[in-house]
Amino acid sequence: MKQITIDPITRLEGHGKIEIFLNDAGEVANAYFVIPELRGFERFCVGRPAEEMPRITNRICGVCPEAHHMAATKALDALYHVEPTPVAKKIREMFYSAFYVADHTTHFYALGGPDFVVGPDAPAAERNILGVVHKVGLEIGKQVIDARIRNHHVIQTVGGRGVHPVAGLPGGWSKAITEEERKEFEQIARQNVEFALFSLKVFEDIVLGNQEYVDLITSDTYTHRTYYMGTVDASNRVNFYDGMVRVVDPNGKEFVKYHPKDYLQHIAEHTEPWTYLKFPFLKGIGWKGFVDGEDSGVYVATPLSRLNAADGMATPRAQEAFEKMYETLGSKKVNGRYEPVHFRLATHWARLIELLYAAERMLELVTDPEITDPNTRAPITATPDEGVGCVEAPRGTLTHHYWTDERGILTKVNLIVGTTNNYAPIAMSVKKAAQSLIRRGTKITDGLLNRIEMAFRAYDPCFGCATHTLPGQMPLEVTIYAADGSTIAHLRR
Amino acid sequence: MKTLVLGLGNPILSDDGVGVRVAEAVRASLPPDVPIDVCELSVGGLRLMEHMLGYERVILIDAVQPGDAEPGTFRRLSYAELACLGPTQHMTCTHDTSLVTALEMAQRMALPVPREIIVYAIGVQDVESFGEDLTPAVARALPRILEAVLQELNISTQKEETHGLT
Repeated sequence: MKQITIDPITRLEGHGKIEIFLNDAGEVANAYFVIPELRGFERFCVGRPAEEMPRITNRICGVCPEAHHMAATKALDALYHVEPTPVAKKIREMFYSAFYVADHTTHFYALGGPDFVVGPDAPAAERNILGVVHKVGLEIGKQVIDARIRNHHVIQTVGGRGVHPVAGLPGGWSKAITEEERKEFEQIARQNVEFALFSLKVFEDIVLGNQEYVDLITSDTYTHRTYYMGTVDASNRVNFYDGMVRVVDPNGKEFVKYHPKDYLQHIAEHTEPWTYLKFPFLKGIGWKGFVDGEDSGVYVATPLSRLNAADGMATPRAQEAFEKMYETLGSKKVNGRYEPVHFRLATHWARLIELLYAAERMLELVTDPEITDPNTRAPITATPDEGVGCVEAPRGTLTHHYWTDERGILTKVNLIVGTTNNYAPIAMSVKKAAQSLIRRGTKITDGLLNRIEMAFRAYDPCFGCATHTLPGQMPLEVTIYAADGSTIAHLRR
Repeated sequence: MKTLVLGLGNPILSDDGVGVRVAEAVRASLPPDVPIDVCELSVGGLRLMEHMLGYERVILIDAVQPGDAEPGTFRRLSYAELACLGPTQHMTCTHDTSLVTALEMAQRMALPVPREIIVYAIGVQDVESFGEDLTPAVARALPRILEAVLQELNISTQKEETHGLT
C-alpha cells in the first residue's frame, strides 16, 4: 500500500500530519489527519481558583485568546450564578466583535485568500499574504494591517492587555469605557464596516468573477452534506457572544436547539485508535463513521455552518450579503429559510459575511447610549459549584465547563474547542479531496498537495488549540505512501 | 537606539516559556531610565511583526524546536541567519504567515520595521507538558542566557556611540 504524509516542518506540538495511503491500483485507499496531544492541562488547572481560568485558558491559544477569555468569563458567570450587568454584556460583545474583525480579516487575506487571489497552483512561496499584496496592490495590504492594528488597539484598551486579555470577571468586566474611548471606537467601527464591504467586493471581483474559481468552490471534491451547528439569538439569527446552540440537518431543518449548559446531553465523543483527539458527534443521531448524510452524527461548526444553522444575520448589510451568497450558490428557500450550502470552500465567503456582521454589530454596540455606563460589575453572592460558558469562536462553537468546590477551587474542567467540533469533517474533507485528486498514475505535484490542503484550510483548523497548547503555528506535513510502503511524495510547510 | 526585548513563548507550557522567563529577568536587571522596552508575547507572523514596528532594534528570545539543539544551549542569530535557517518555535503563525514574510510585507509598505533583529534561540527539552517549571538543564542555563542578552544590550549601546563618529 502506498502512503502519503503531510507533516510539519518542525516537531511542534499541535501540528497536523496528513497521511494518504494508496492501494495497488494507485488510488487513495485511506487518508488520515493526525494530531498529537499535550499532557496535563486538566491537572494544571485542578486545584487553582476558578477565576484564574480566563487568564489560563487564553494561554492555550495564541490565535484566539479572546475567545477563550470570553468563554471562560461566561463559565464563571454560570459557576458563580451571577448575571452580568447590561453594560458588561455590551462591552464584552463589542470587544468580541473587534476581535472577530481582526481574526476574519487575517484569515481571508493571509490564509484562505492566497489560494484564490494568487491561485491554487501557484508556487508555495508565492501563496501567502505577500503574494496577495503583489497581485492586488500595496494599498490592500496596508488596509489589512490597518484593520488589524486598529482592532487590536480596541482589544488592548478594553481587554486590559494586548494579546492575552485580563478584563473578564464573573458578573462583569473590570473596566468601563470612557466617552473619549467610545468616540474613538465608533470611528474604528465605521472604518471596519467600510473595510468589510470592500473585502466582500474583492471576493466578488476576484473569486466570483472567475468561473474557474466558482467551479472549484462548487465542485464535488469540496462538498459534504452534514449537520451544521451555530449559536443563534432569539430570532434565530447568528450571534457570536451569546444565545442558544442550534443544529440543522443537511436539508436545513432544525434538528435541535439547546442551551449551551446542556451540551453533554447532545454531544458525545468518538475515539479512534490512530489519534488522541476525539471526534464529537450528535448524540441524537449517533456515530456512524466518517460519512455524510442525515443518518450520520457528524456535524460542522464553522462560519459557513453558523450561517447554515441560522435564519439570517442580525444586521442589515450582513443580511443582504447573506441572501446574496445563498441565492448565488443556488440555495432555495424552504419554509422561509435557505437550504444549507454544502460547499466547504464557500466557508471563505461566509467568513467575510461574518466580518461584515461583526463590524456592524460593533458599531451598534459602540453607539449604544448605555455603553459608557460605569456599572460594569454585578456583586457575587452565591456559592460556586459548576458552570458552562459558550461563545462562537471564529473556528467554531467553544465550550468551557468547570466544576469547583464551595471555595471556587477547580476540581474538574472540560473544554470543547472550536476546531475539535470539526475534526471528523476535516478528516472527511481531506480524504475526499485526496480521493478525487489522486488517481492511478496521477503525478503528485505541489499544486495537487495544496489542493488537498485547501480542503482543510477552509476550516482554518487550530489544533494547537484543540490539543490545549499555545503556538498558533500548525505546521503541516503531507506524505503519500505507495502500496509497498515507500514514500512517493512529501510536502512540508 | 529604541530597543525592544521580546520574550516569546507560553509560560505555562514548561520549557516553551523560556523566552518569557529570560525577558522577565532582563526587565528585572535593567537600570531605571534605560530606553529599552521589554515584553512577552506568544504570537508569530503578522502580530509579531506589528509589535516590532517603531523600534530600531529588536532582540527576540525564543525556544528552538526540541531536538534541534541541546537543552540549555543557545545561539545568537542575526536576522539574515534566521531567514536562511527557518523559524524558531514561535515565529511563524500558520494562521497567517511567517515573521520573515510579514517583515518583507511591512518593508514594502514602508512601515517602520527595525533596522536590526537579533534572535537568541534556546535549546529546550519539554514543550508538551503543562507546567510553570523549566526542565533542569534549561533552568540552569537561564543565568548564562540572561548575561548574554544583557551584554548584547550594553555592547550595542557602545556601538551606537561610535556610530555617530563614522
